[in-house]
Amino acid sequence: MDRQEAIEFLVDHYENPRNYGPLEHAQVSLSGGNPGCADIITMHAHFDQEGKLDAIRWEGEGCTISRAAASYVTEIVDGLTAEEIENMSFEDLIEQLGRELVMTRPTCATLALGTLKKGVHEYRMKALAEKTE
Amino acid sequence: MSGTETNHAGYVHPEVLVETSWVADHLDVPAIRLIEADEDVLLYEVGHLPGAVKLDWHVDVQDPVTRDFISQKGFEQLMSRWGIDNDTLIVLYGDKNNWYACYSFWLFRMYGHTNMKIMNGGRQKWEAEGRPFVKDVPQYTPTSYKAQPMDESIRAYRDDVAAGLRDPNRRLIDVRSPQEYTGELIHMVNYPQEGAQRGGHIPTAKNIPWATAANPDGTFKSAEELRQIYYGKDVTPDKDVVTYCRIGERSAHTWFALTYLLGYPRVRNYDGSWTEWGNLVRAPIEKP
Repeated sequence: MDRQEAIEFLVDHYENPRNYGPLEHAQVSLSGGNPGCADIITMHAHFDQEGKLDAIRWEGEGCTISRAAASYVTEIVDGLTAEEIENMSFEDLIEQLGRELVMTRPTCATLALGTLKKGVHEYRMKALAEKTE
Repeated sequence: MSGTETNHAGYVHPEVLVETSWVADHLDVPAIRLIEADEDVLLYEVGHLPGAVKLDWHVDVQDPVTRDFISQKGFEQLMSRWGIDNDTLIVLYGDKNNWYACYSFWLFRMYGHTNMKIMNGGRQKWEAEGRPFVKDVPQYTPTSYKAQPMDESIRAYRDDVAAGLRDPNRRLIDVRSPQEYTGELIHMVNYPQEGAQRGGHIPTAKNIPWATAANPDGTFKSAEELRQIYYGKDVTPDKDVVTYCRIGERSAHTWFALTYLLGYPRVRNYDGSWTEWGNLVRAPIEKP
């Protein structure tokens, strides 16, 4: 992607957010924020019986990059296990979003993924604890 | 063509500002070129003022190799590409209180374009007033623009800054956030904390964050309010003033306010700023 293509890719996600809205029966629901940019993103997720993500939604407000990134993240985690989501790389995400464009705003670009990873980690730890009990 | 609505604010040079209503009434005037300069790189594509071209700071005005701006010839080519001739009235606007619009104003002024204005309040005010944004990218017939050699009387270099450290008539203004000034951070909150080896500020610098010159709606504060801010820190028109921030863009906003709105005769913007000073070996730094 050249710079203009990367801009158009992000603008498309910003203007046509994928998987936006609440999620019924979510097992993960966690909000994360960047006070400096007034970004507040809530990530909702649900896993199927095999432990693979089968539903994801997001809600919130924020700058163009944080919203575009949240939309994109919901597209790339479908079917992944909690562990796979936790192991996702922020660097890879920044590369896919267009490093040249988002490198000045990495906290915005990674807010959604970081929030999802944290929420998924808490969900997994809770599930493990329940299992050992 | 002047935005006379701003006269009441008591500015020394009110002619450098136009109001959003004035711009709305002059969108179809061929001798006017609107230029949008944003910090947020996506905003122009999300929507811009009808007829406006995009100034992308990362690609349009930076030398790709040396840390410097484009050359005189490069500036001429840029103006030509946007269909701007030497008589065109350029109206700059952007996001975040016109932060990058003022930075552009400063650069364009160095290359000799004087017929320029800032749209007071920028994108924020235009949007708040429910005025239209479009996605069409305009194409203009190239011109034969002639730029002047760079006027560096409004630009400060590190040697100028260092030479003035003991000058009682010199005032340094660090326009960054208090956390950057004290060295707690080396960039704004939520931005990558990189670009300088050390935190702190240049000795003698006074901390007057750039956005204190703006109202909540993005417009500039009145002359009286601005005087209270700068006089209150002993930054008065009789002094040689140098503004700086991290790379010189926030400080261009303060340069603009002091030079045009308050009429200070000697204000320079140090665009090397903290990303230069905070990396210089043995450069003196104050840090509480």
